[in-house]
Amino acid sequence: MPPQMLRVVYSAFRLAMLHWIADPQWVIPNIIAPFVFTVVALTLFKSDVTGQFGLYAVLGGGMMGMWGNTLYSSGFAIEFEKWQGTLEEVLAAPSNLMHVIAGRSVSNALFGLTNMVAILLIASLGFGISLGIANPILFAVSLVLTLLSVSALGLIFASAFVLSRSAQVFTNGLEFPIYVISGSMFPIWLLPFWVHPASYILGPTWGIEAIRIAAGQEKGFLGFWENIGIMVLITVVYLAIATVLFKLVEKKARRDGSLVEA
Amino acid sequence: MSSLRIFFSSAIFSFRAQFGWLNPPMWLTMKFALGLSQMAFFVFVGQFITKDPNLTHFIAIGNALQSVSWNTVFSVINITNHDKWEGTLPLLLATPANRLPLFIGRAMLHVLDGMLSVAISLVFAAFIFGVNFANTDLLALTVAVVLTAFTMAGFGLLIGGFSFYFRDPMIIANIFTFILLIFCGVNFEVSQLPEPLRPISQAFPLTYGIWAARDHKRELIDRNLSTVR
Repeated sequence: MPPQMLRVVYSAFRLAMLHWIADPQWVIPNIIAPFVFTVVALTLFKSDVTGQFGLYAVLGGGMMGMWGNTLYSSGFAIEFEKWQGTLEEVLAAPSNLMHVIAGRSVSNALFGLTNMVAILLIASLGFGISLGIANPILFAVSLVLTLLSVSALGLIFASAFVLSRSAQVFTNGLEFPIYVISGSMFPIWLLPFWVHPASYILGPTWGIEAIRIAAGQEKGFLGFWENIGIMVLITVVYLAIATVLFKLVEKKARRDGSLVEA
Repeated sequence: MSSLRIFFSSAIFSFRAQFGWLNPPMWLTMKFALGLSQMAFFVFVGQFITKDPNLTHFIAIGNALQSVSWNTVFSVINITNHDKWEGTLPLLLATPANRLPLFIGRAMLHVLDGMLSVAISLVFAAFIFGVNFANTDLLALTVAVVLTAFTMAGFGLLIGGFSFYFRDPMIIANIFTFILLIFCGVNFEVSQLPEPLRPISQAFPLTYGIWAARDHKRELIDRNLSTVR
């Protein structure tokens, strides 16, 4: 990765962090849904909350928090720039827009981890679940790689958000289908068979499976490294698609002058 | 008479404004995607515990009714938020128009939209999750849906009034839309909540709306959902 690109990604990451510190209440809309969903699932799973069901609810809730925050960072960050009137400057700068959004996506996915902490607390204090991680190193590896995969997926959506005036509405609407299709809180075999191809092309589907295996309470159809390998492969494809889309969208926005009015 | 005029003109302007920034295909996509995916999420979570169709139907109906809150709570609370961002709030407050019909009129679009959301979600419940409406009293169900939409819009206006003083009402809107999933018996009976929390459920009109809607299907829903107790 060229140092110049790293500098842009880091600067965007740092700016997003500073925004969050300046106005931390914005994390609430992105973590409230996963938090509530986890509480509902734990209440439904009451009969076996300390077993497999509890694990699905807690890890799934954490994963959903990351996803919600990343999607928010992609969709809402551009909307935010539009409101502030700074989108033109960001686009006019020689830095690649995709690198700017990538830095923000990573920082927001990282904030999503705060949701995991909140969920662990409520699971432990409210439902008496003690989540023993069988392999903390593999757990951390899978968590970080899933975070990056979610961020890469967010970049694909971000390219469309540049042109859409309804990006924020789109963000709200995309959040729930991904929670369902990736099997964040239940195994994907429960889904109709025709949904499975959509599940398989989502990096988070494999990531959450690897996280569950690392936590030690699920064996899984594939092993830990197989799941990680597929997720990394999918993430690389996401990045390639995002690169092409960003170039196309940026070119169209410049040509049509549809950036701010869109 | 003047209040009526304000009410209708606010409702019409609100409708025009909504489609000024949200195009109809996007609106329809969101309407179908959001209702279906939220219902599907909780139905599959329920099916993870048991394949009992009673639980599936219980969750599907609860979520169908809850879909009204996206419009009547989330959107209604956000009415003042939109004005703040668009810079029209000072102009609105400077007018001599009575605030009550003005804001109620603006909420009406969301009431109608909310009823449409419930109708679409009930179709999903029937055709995708197999809820049988053959023995349902459709008139009573319609009354339950209409009253729930209006009363929840009242609730949205109440919270919107409080959040008027906050910098970002959207945060309040998010919190109050989602906590309904915990307190209103959407996915599990209110009796499953810890005892000290149960009185909170009674403060939300949605609790009664969902109960009323389900009451017409009691013959299909086994009260003894032992797996979720």
